[in-house]
Amino acid sequence: MKLYDYILSPSCYKVRLMAALAGAALELKPVDFHPGNEHRSPAMLALNPAGTIPILEDGDLLLTESSAMLAYIAAKAAPGWLGGDSAEETARIQQWLAFSARLTSSLGGARLTQMLLVPCDIAALQKSGIAALRELEAGLVEQSLRGCRFLAADRPTIADIACFPYVALAPDGNVSLDPYPTIRLWSRALRALPGFIEMPGIHRLHELKPEPEVQAEEA
Amino acid sequence: MQSDTAGSWVPVALSSDLPALAVMPARIASETVALWRSASGRATASADRCPHRGMRLSHGFVRGEALSCIYHGWSYAQGGQCLKIPAHPGLTPPETIRVVTYAVAEQDGVVWAAAGAPAGEPPRLNGFAPLRSVTVDAAIGFIEAAAGVGMNADGFLSPADAPSGLCLLLSDQGAGQTLVHVLIGQDAGPSARIAASRAVEALRRRAEALSTEGAGA
Repeated sequence: MKLYDYILSPSCYKVRLMAALAGAALELKPVDFHPGNEHRSPAMLALNPAGTIPILEDGDLLLTESSAMLAYIAAKAAPGWLGGDSAEETARIQQWLAFSARLTSSLGGARLTQMLLVPCDIAALQKSGIAALRELEAGLVEQSLRGCRFLAADRPTIADIACFPYVALAPDGNVSLDPYPTIRLWSRALRALPGFIEMPGIHRLHELKPEPEVQAEEA
Repeated sequence: MQSDTAGSWVPVALSSDLPALAVMPARIASETVALWRSASGRATASADRCPHRGMRLSHGFVRGEALSCIYHGWSYAQGGQCLKIPAHPGLTPPETIRVVTYAVAEQDGVVWAAAGAPAGEPPRLNGFAPLRSVTVDAAIGFIEAAAGVGMNADGFLSPADAPSGLCLLLSDQGAGQTLVHVLIGQDAGPSARIAASRAVEALRRRAEALSTEGAGA
């Protein structure tokens, strides 16, 4: 599987993270999204006329939607991540996969505006980002009242991976995560998963690693 | 309610939102604090600013009984003194390197903190149990107006039209924000808890609408 990838893209990170958690091997093809605008080059448009990344290529299968990539990687390497043990769980997964597009447009839009100076109405993006975070917080509270720590079940699914990166990077768009205690617990639970990988701005839980041995100064 | 005066208990978080080895931001009056729980389960409130480079300690991490800064790993004890500077492993940090800490009390599933030395214990929940904490972008007066009832001297408020057994514990966050701890009868089942959580979302919408109208008037 070849992923056309940009290290700072939360959508590309979703796919890298899913592959790492599922134990699937990915061949990474870096795309110079910024400043090169390579994702709009003729060669890239030939793969994806929409001019977006990530793009996942496996044989003649060409995927341009990150949620589809998560489903494909999970189905191939770790089917448990697809969830769907009950009608409700199936519906919750679809609900949050679709919802994740709102996180991308709102929090992701605010982040692009802040980081790459893409001209946008940042106040409107931040407002809709906060509305989405409040929905996510309420959804996670209700799940915890049902005894579940994750969005669709008591174990993580592709729905969690679809929502996590843009939420974790909300502060890049000047949207604070301080008011969301249940999102904080969910983020900790995801970052504690075996095989979790980082991206710039999303770090692992240092407390889970033993304290590093440090050499004395005069050694 | 415990106002902004030093020495009064402020409900800063729910115990269940602060598991062992976790740190979270909280506010005591106008101060931002890093609220953290050690491996042994003890909650501490430290100033949310590393004296080294000013990074928020609430972005840091907890190992054992110490809070470490995410930036350069300086770690601080529950009493506030700096324990270790990783770039100078042979150095015992001078006692002058420390963060301010605040009094903390924990009971009935709520973590309380105080800027001074408060007299007495924080108020009890008397049969209620914490459900969730919600930040409302409106001052306490708008929440009282939306709920149709005022809060009592300890900061408790029972909305007039809410499901029975719902009680709110309010804490002024300054800057027109209020932290609302949602409490519910200890014997409430999962459906009643979910209904209460949704009722508070609706109350927040009403309070924020009133606040926006108030600002526009």
